[in-house]
This record gives sequence, C-alpha cells and structure tokens, in this order.
Amino acid sequence: MDQAATDLRKTEDQRPGPGRTKPVLELRNLVTQLPGEDGPLTIVNDVSLKVLAGETLSVVGESGSGKTMTFLSAIGLVPKPGRVVAGEVLLDGADLLKLTPDEMRETRGTGISMVFQDPLTGLNPVFTIGEQIAEVLRAHGSVSRTEARETAIGLLERVHIPDPGRRVDDYPHQLSGGMRQRVLIAMAIALEPRVLIADEPTTALDVTVQAQVLELLAELRQDFGMAMVLITHDLGLVARHADRVAVMYGGRVVEYGSAEAVFEHTAHPYTVSLFESVPSLDAETSDDLRTIEGQPPDPASLPAGCAFEPRCFFGQGREECKTILPKRATASMADHRTACHFYAELDTKRSCA
Amino acid sequence: MVSYLARTLVQLAITLVGIVTVVFFLMRAIPGDPALYMLGDFATEASVEALRARLGLDLPVYQQYLLFMQRALTGDLGQSVVTGQPALREILSALPWSLSLAVTGLMIAVALGVPLGILSAIRQGTWVDVTIMLVALIGISFPVFWVGLVAILLLSHQAGLFPALGAATGGGFFTQIHHLMLPALVLGLSVAAYIARLTRSAMLEVLGQDYIRVARAMGVRENRIFFRLALRNAFIPILAVIGVTFAWALGNAILVEVVFSRPGLGSTVLKAILARDYQLVQAGVLVLATGIVLVNLTLDILYGVIDPRMRTGS
Repeated sequence: MDQAATDLRKTEDQRPGPGRTKPVLELRNLVTQLPGEDGPLTIVNDVSLKVLAGETLSVVGESGSGKTMTFLSAIGLVPKPGRVVAGEVLLDGADLLKLTPDEMRETRGTGISMVFQDPLTGLNPVFTIGEQIAEVLRAHGSVSRTEARETAIGLLERVHIPDPGRRVDDYPHQLSGGMRQRVLIAMAIALEPRVLIADEPTTALDVTVQAQVLELLAELRQDFGMAMVLITHDLGLVARHADRVAVMYGGRVVEYGSAEAVFEHTAHPYTVSLFESVPSLDAETSDDLRTIEGQPPDPASLPAGCAFEPRCFFGQGREECKTILPKRATASMADHRTACHFYAELDTKRSCA
Repeated sequence: MVSYLARTLVQLAITLVGIVTVVFFLMRAIPGDPALYMLGDFATEASVEALRARLGLDLPVYQQYLLFMQRALTGDLGQSVVTGQPALREILSALPWSLSLAVTGLMIAVALGVPLGILSAIRQGTWVDVTIMLVALIGISFPVFWVGLVAILLLSHQAGLFPALGAATGGGFFTQIHHLMLPALVLGLSVAAYIARLTRSAMLEVLGQDYIRVARAMGVRENRIFFRLALRNAFIPILAVIGVTFAWALGNAILVEVVFSRPGLGSTVLKAILARDYQLVQAGVLVLATGIVLVNLTLDILYGVIDPRMRTGS
C-alpha cells in the first residue's frame, strides 16, 4: 500500500464523531454451544459487540466467562464438538458465518487474525521462525522462497526484533518468551488484517516484557489502522489501552461501553466488584482489597434470572434478580449498555460514596 | 555432538556386556549338558568327562565366564560344539537371510503403517479411522505364525502366487526375491498394524498442540498443517516407534523363518539352544543385540536432524 492511501485510511479511521461508528467487526447475538450430558451447554450466550477501526476493544471477565470462546467463534475455530448455533459475525458488513470453510480460512490472516496467550507453545518447534512466517504468507498467495524470506525479515524488524537477518533462521527454542510473542505478532500482522484479536497476549510474560509487547501492539494498531480486541483480566491494561470495554460474565456481555463510561459511570455490580478486586498501591491497608465471593457460574446450571445474582453484593435477595433475565439497557450514555435490573440505583450509590 | 556420540558408544558397550552376561548364565542355568548331547545316550562316563574337560565345562562357572569375556574382547566367541566352526562365522553366514527378511518386512510395515496412521488421525472419528484401527487391531491380535500359515494356505497353496517354503538358497537373485516376498509380507503386515496405531496417536498428539491452532488462526491450509507442520513433529515419536519395531521385526522374523522353513538366525539359534551349543547361542544373541543397538543409535542421530532442540544439546 502506498503512503497516500495509508494516510487517507488513517485520517478516515481516526476521525471523531458519527463517521467513526461504522464497525470493522461486529458480533450480533452470537450463541456458541458445547454438547453436554443433559443437553447443550451455552458457553457464548447472545453476545453482541462492535469493534471500530483503529480502536481497541478490551474484553474482561473471569476465566470461563466465555471471552476466548467468543472470539474463537468469530474466527471459526471453536474446538470440536462445540459450534456456533446462532448469530452473525460481520467483518466490514459481511457475515463470516455464511462463508464456506475455505473462504473462512482465507479470511483468517487477511481479514482477522489472532494472537494467543502462551508464546512458548505457540511456535512450531521444528521450523525456523522464518519458515513459519513464510507459511502464513504462502497460505494467502504464491511467494517465492527469497521473497518470503525478505518479507519475514521485514516483519521481524517491524516487531522490533534485533538483528532480524540472523534471527530469521533461528528456531523458537533459541528465543526468549517476549521475542516469541513478537514473532507470533509478526505472523498475525503479516497480511495486514483488519482486526487483530490478542487473547491475554502478555499473561505468560515477565512484567517488564509485558509493557513492551503492549506498546508494540498499540503501535501496530495505529500504523495499520487495525481494529484490536484485547482479551484480558488485567484491569490495569484495560485502563491504559482500551477505547471500549466489554465485561463478560457467564457467557454474556453484562456491560459494554466506552472506556470512559465503564470506568466513570460503572453500571453493573459485577464490574464494580472487578474494580474493587484490583490491588492498589495507594490502599492504606490490605483490607481495601476485596475478592468476589463464590464461584463463577456453571454453564450446566445457569439460574433463570441474572447469572451474577448469587454473588451480587447489590441486588441480593430481590425477586427480579432471581427470576428475570435482565435485558440490555442503555446506561449513562448512548452506546453504554448494561444488563442489570437496578443499574440506575447503582450509579447513584457510586457517586454518593 | 562428539561428546554425545562418545557417551552413546559407552552406553552401547555396557548394554552389550550386560546382554552377553545374562545370556551366558541363562544358558548354563538350563538343564542339559552339551557333552552328553554330543556323545549320545551310550557314552561312557569317562568319555563324557574327557569331553567336558576339553570344552572347559569342568571349570567353575565364574572361571568359564572370565575366560569367555577375555576371549570375547579379542573377537573370539569360541567354536560351535556341534560343527566345530567358529561361532561368529556361523552366525554371520545366517545373518543376511534374517536381515533381508526383517528389513524388507519393516519397509513394507513403514510404507503401509505410517500413511494409514496419518490418514486415520486426520479423519479421526470417521468410518475411515474406525476401519483402519479395527483392521490394525486384528493385525496386532493375530500371531504372526498363524498369519504365516494362512498366507501359505491361501496365497501359495490355493492361488499359487508364491512358493510356500524355503528361501531358494541356491537360486538366482530373482528366485530368491520371489521366495522372500510372502514371508516379508506376513512379517510386514503384523508390524504395520503396530506402526499404524502408534503413528495415529503421535499425529493426534501433535494436532492438539497450540502451534497448530496458531497456524489455523493465520489461515494456513489444512493439508499444509497435516503434511508439513504436524508431520515433521510427529516423525520424532514415529522414528522411535520404528526403532522399537525393528527389534520386534527381528524377533518376529525368527518365527516367520520357522514357519516358512527359511535359513537364518532363527533356525540357527533355535538348533543351537536345543543342542546346548553355548558358544553359538552367545554369538547369535550378541550379533542380534548389536544390530538392535546400532539401529537405535542411528535413530538417535536422525532425531538430531529432525528436531533442532536436540542439535544444540540444550
């Protein structure tokens, strides 16, 4: 792509206001199920999300809340025998769930790409990193051996791997964890996808390396005008990197909105509990650190009402919470949605406190 | 790499000494006396004693052992008490017959077992997989001598495709090959079943790895994933399996030789055991063990070619 086109795309993508609201990736009412002993288990339950160009959407929630499964569903890689049973995955308006398997394969890498949690197991131990990058290039077009090598070196340079001309012939075991994650990122962005999904990309890394990898992701997102999804349970990362936040619980999105809305006008008790369970350096005593009592919900026996009700500090005992599934409601501002019957009271309480 | 080789060679030597020692004492623990066997039922006590003395069998067992080891180090494994020929030469002349059978059988086994195992893995859970694994299970369950007899009955006796017995020891090259085909096929099929099952599980293990999911997430084609990205990893355990099955193939080759009345290590060592021909048995086991150890050494080196983590010795 030439410079002028890149610039044009950037300005278009970064223009504030209504022009920005056209999503690159949009999930609509996505439902994914796994077969269980007593009927199917719903692990992604009616999820709707939008990711805009040049923006980062952070998806937060406990382990098992369906964060990863939601996006494996979006790229068509739900582990068998699970499958997507309903909904739409729109990439630039086209529904990926309607594609043939080979069209979906072609879209992975070029339209939508994913970086996983553990860089130590993510690279194939018996191929050089150059060969592995070349494999991605070759999957989406014919490239000669020398071309592939040149491109691979360029990509390694792009993700700030020192001495890429030499590193290209290294095997994964010769690289550190942070370097390996960079290589995996290089593979994921090799064909400049429209959306990059990063699934806890730094969880397995040293704290110092974490920051570097996240900086790299932010830089690439800007340069390529990519949309990014950052799946994490680290709220510190969310605060620093997210434009938009989706909070997931029990396979559902319970709160969704701009980072500002979710942080400043939190409209779901689960989100409040998440914030309170973050350790803070300013905290005077360790009493300030709260944990969320109880266990995440079991997809085999979800309550009829709100899935968070048994652990909720706020609605405890109210009949609606136990029996009626909360609808998504618009909270503090447009595009800020919550699934809580009593979010309005919550907001008041928080501002009073 | 050099220190690795040196270490392996030392291990090899220790292994061989261990095997020969076990066989030495096992043979002498079996009731029966070679002198008595050679002289027959009507031998006088005096002539038996004389022969025992000549063979060194009157010495205490530990002295016999030390003497044997001393000679073995110089390459002298003694003479066959039956034929009077050097034991090693007898064994080495029988070896090519067994080796050609085992190697041909193993080649058939690998050519059949590896592709079927891979096919089974990438079609996991389908009727293709179920059929292949069922046939493989049957193949493992039937003893090789039974399969050999059935093969003789069907393919030699009824269809007349192959000669039933013998190895055409005096015949030309092609006649010998013709005689080799049926026993090699019988041997190969039994080993193929084993290799197919282990290849399948090696392949499935690799296909469950994170780097395979990463390749899928980048849009790499399934064929590339199976036949390039996964297969090279799966070859590491598959090679190990082939190493193990070589020993198995040699063992089964001995059974097959008996069924097909072929010359070879099988019949030679079997006769030697019955005659309590200690020297010949020891030489036979030593040669077999050396062969198996050498094959595994070769495979160790091949691991280094396939797996870069072995190369740097880390």
